Amino acid sequence: MFERIKHMLIKEFIQIFRDPKMKGVIFLMPVIQVLVFGYAVTTDVKHVATAVYDQDNSPASRELVSRFAGTEYFDVAEYIYHEGRVTELLDHGKVRAIIRIREGYGDDLRAGKTPQLQVIVDGTDSNTAGTVLDYTTDITREYSKQVLSRRYARLQGQPVDPPRVVLDTRPWFNANLESRNFYVPGVIAIIVMLITLMLTSMAVVREKEIGTMEQIMVTPITPAEFILGKTVPFALIGIADVILVTVVGVFWFEVPIRGNLALLFLATGFYLMTTLGVGLLISTVSDTQQQAMMSTFFFYFPAVLLSGFMFPIANMPESVQWLTYLNPLRYFLVVVRGIFLKGIGPLILWPQMAALLVMGLITLWFASKRFKKTSV
Amino acid sequence: MNSVEKNSNETAVVVQDLERRFGSFIAVNRVSFEVKKGEIFGFLGPNGAGKSTTIRMLIGVLAPTDGVGTVAGFDIRTQAEEIKKHIGYMSQKFSLYDDLTVSENIDFYSGIYRIDPARKKARKEWVIEMAGLEHHRHSRTAILSGGWKQRLALGCAILHEPPVIFLDEPTSGVDPVSRRQFWDLIYELSGKGVTVFVTTHYMDEAEYCDRLGLIYRGELIAAGTPETLKTELMQEDVLEVICERPQDAMGEIEQIEGIKEVALFGKGLHVVVEETERAVAAISDLLQRRGYAVTRVEGIVPSLEDVFVSLIEARDRAEQPQQEVKR
Amino acid sequence: MKLYRTWAVARKEYLHIIRDPRSLGMGIVIPVILLLLFGYALSLDVDNVPTVVWDQSESQVSRDFLSGFQGSPYFSIVKFVHGYGEVDRAINSAEALAALIIPRDFAQLIEAGRAAPVQLIVDGSDSDTADTAIGYAETVAQSFSQQVAVREVQRKTGRTLDLPLDYRPRTWYNEDMESKNYIVPGLIAVIMMVIAALLTSLTIAREWERGTMEQLISTPVKGPELILGKLFPYFTIGMFDVLLAVLMGEFLFDVPLRGSVPLLFGMAAVFLVGALSLGILISVVTKSQLLASQLAMVLTFLPSFLLSGFMYAISNMPQPIQIITYVIPATYFVSLLKGIYLKGVGLEVMAIQAGLLGAFGVVMVILANDKFKKKLE
Repeated sequence: MFERIKHMLIKEFIQIFRDPKMKGVIFLMPVIQVLVFGYAVTTDVKHVATAVYDQDNSPASRELVSRFAGTEYFDVAEYIYHEGRVTELLDHGKVRAIIRIREGYGDDLRAGKTPQLQVIVDGTDSNTAGTVLDYTTDITREYSKQVLSRRYARLQGQPVDPPRVVLDTRPWFNANLESRNFYVPGVIAIIVMLITLMLTSMAVVREKEIGTMEQIMVTPITPAEFILGKTVPFALIGIADVILVTVVGVFWFEVPIRGNLALLFLATGFYLMTTLGVGLLISTVSDTQQQAMMSTFFFYFPAVLLSGFMFPIANMPESVQWLTYLNPLRYFLVVVRGIFLKGIGPLILWPQMAALLVMGLITLWFASKRFKKTSV
Repeated sequence: MNSVEKNSNETAVVVQDLERRFGSFIAVNRVSFEVKKGEIFGFLGPNGAGKSTTIRMLIGVLAPTDGVGTVAGFDIRTQAEEIKKHIGYMSQKFSLYDDLTVSENIDFYSGIYRIDPARKKARKEWVIEMAGLEHHRHSRTAILSGGWKQRLALGCAILHEPPVIFLDEPTSGVDPVSRRQFWDLIYELSGKGVTVFVTTHYMDEAEYCDRLGLIYRGELIAAGTPETLKTELMQEDVLEVICERPQDAMGEIEQIEGIKEVALFGKGLHVVVEETERAVAAISDLLQRRGYAVTRVEGIVPSLEDVFVSLIEARDRAEQPQQEVKR
Repeated sequence: MKLYRTWAVARKEYLHIIRDPRSLGMGIVIPVILLLLFGYALSLDVDNVPTVVWDQSESQVSRDFLSGFQGSPYFSIVKFVHGYGEVDRAINSAEALAALIIPRDFAQLIEAGRAAPVQLIVDGSDSDTADTAIGYAETVAQSFSQQVAVREVQRKTGRTLDLPLDYRPRTWYNEDMESKNYIVPGLIAVIMMVIAALLTSLTIAREWERGTMEQLISTPVKGPELILGKLFPYFTIGMFDVLLAVLMGEFLFDVPLRGSVPLLFGMAAVFLVGALSLGILISVVTKSQLLASQLAMVLTFLPSFLLSGFMYAISNMPQPIQIITYVIPATYFVSLLKGIYLKGVGLEVMAIQAGLLGAFGVVMVILANDKFKKKLE
């Protein structure tokens, strides 16, 4: 039995790596993905191109503008002098925010009245717009607080601080709130899923399509041996990719690993059982590689989108939230992020680990059962 | 070059010093031959000898490393696309689309070859009738048996009535009856003046050809009509021996001096000898002495297989004399 | 180039598609699923951040302060706790993403007109949610501070104090800042890339693998005829998907479509030709379905999903990555789509993007034709 499995494994590895391009795909694709996610997927908004439409042009208005320009969030790209330019700049997407100060701003402010400050934000990218609005709110509030305390001091006849609440913010697990720390561990989960799913489902169907499946089925190989031969290589590739991505994440992006590596690999093992099981299942229902590829995506897209990888599960409608409980990626993400960032252990992660193990056993059992029916 | 062009009036295929390398491996080594118009030219050789490589160069899908040639009057190096309009090609794999029906496969190729709309229907019916697929025109190709697929593939390859057709091991994996029917078709086409270039490793099929070329390890080692090959190219003679217990007799005969090879052939033995008369006497004598009832010992015209094997062995001996092991 | 041969190939390809209804079905269902998910289920808008509160002050002032959080749609106070250990547990087990800790002397400090520190702990592992939650909390805290300050002045001096600034933020193009308005238009670009990746990247590789290509290249069919013939049916499917996406955006998700509809479809067609040609190019170069499928992922789908500005704004990316986005055609298409959908602008504003998109299409068609050899290796 082990002899046959050994030869299956040798054959699979020869086939996978026969084409040098394939090696590149298996080992480069994960690295490219981590790099892209590490660098490109950032929701940290900084240096927003901003135009200033200062109709007042007084010392007071210039002071207000400097409050914006002085931060790293706003870069003044242009000072504008007529109304039409506002539309033009926003339509062309040259700036994403416009600060408009009307005439009489300085006088009103000195007189103790409430002058108007207008900020226009390009809402096409609603996330960035939201963040930009947060910044402008913070800056204007901070500014008005100072104006207020000046007025307050004038009334009191002596300089004092008004009463206020000071927020002392402490982000745990990711002190600088780097989105990289959030995404990179998750990339491990989605890359491993894609590679193992696709390789497993296509490798079996490929044999069907080319006709070698029939040949293998007439040899004394048992279905169990065949399935092992078809899954173990991809499991090994999956684990190799986990290591690769982890190394890039830790040494290149300096994502912390605070938890136990052994626990990470154990969880990866459970998780791989689910992805390989699904891959095998896809191969039993597909006749061509095209179908296998499509079916893989049919599973993969919702699995990634409904996992909490990019979109918080808490924001989803309740019915969809229930659906996410069937998604192995959901559990694995909690485990990976927990181990990397929180450094938490099995005491907290056991429900996710158990869910992965159970799902892995069920999918593999179901896949091999279906597999026997369709192929023998 | 000049001789190549000059001959294109009477010849369908001419090649000179055709060569193809894959890296350091020489698949086809300076091969030269001609095929006359209307001829059935058989290209023989064991697997891997370079048959398919040669055909692929002739039909313009594989560029030769060296050498020149024309097919249907067009240069194989520069006019590959013209060649493709004037030839039909069918490979051993019956490369039809499995998920298309018989009728759809024909329609596809008639679109590709642009069959005149007026002739389209007639050509289609001809293919369907020729392939015996009247009741299966709307079946998926995947469910057809080997013989049907093979005739359908041939039909699709000659929808546009090309003057030259190339068949690469067209009958491998097909039952004898289908093979017979297939060859009837080839004769029919040849009768109409179509040149047929066919590769095979079935000896009986080789006999059906007008002329043969024998390729071995990339080199053309003999060419001519089957008759010429059998009578002129065989250096040794062949005897047929019919006697009791041929298997035992084989061992006895092998001991006689001047006997090159003994092989079971049908109910008797074929013995390759240097000189017929002496050997007939020696064998009859020996067998009678040892008590075998002998029906016949006489010289025969060698079969193509005899010629084929003897040529190849001669080649091997010439190339690797030190490795030869005498039985 | 002969039209009849192109047509013969297109018809054959169409039959292949019809014969494999599952692949065709998925070519339509996958875009629909993506649209439904992005339209209904997925949102980057952070609200109802589960929060625990440890109010050590338990005073009227602290309750006033907390009411700012309770009234906000952004926070949802799940539990009042009494001790640091409980805060710790709640965050570790992800029961809460934020915790507010109000000190014992909170009311006294405020009443004495001084600064009162409130601790906000957030689970930083989801940096986006954390960031947004911090922003919201700051806003709540500042507006509370302002109210207290104004009240204080009134109490002490008997005079009202005007607010120093009337701050009026306005959002253009997507007034309610709904993420579906921003994601659905860009999704059209992603869907097209999916079609290209899933459907076309295998078509030529499959013929090589099955041996039908050898038969085909022995016929007079020319490279461009074969490639255009293969493009055509997938182009139809792709355009159907676009139509579906536009209709769903209009009637299901109420995404405003302010620009020209013919321009939208015209640009979609240009982009689709480029995307499909890229798929075919991959197929031509790899000759193997397994490899083609993997490469299609890396070259078509991922860049259009992550680097096109579809979800993650390009201007937020580091400089080297921004340069890369310039060579990704989906970038131009996404900005065209958002321009047409949300800004209602046309070619007068986006001629450059349209031109580059056209160039991409032409280059891809030429490359696919050029790389396709009617020869064996």
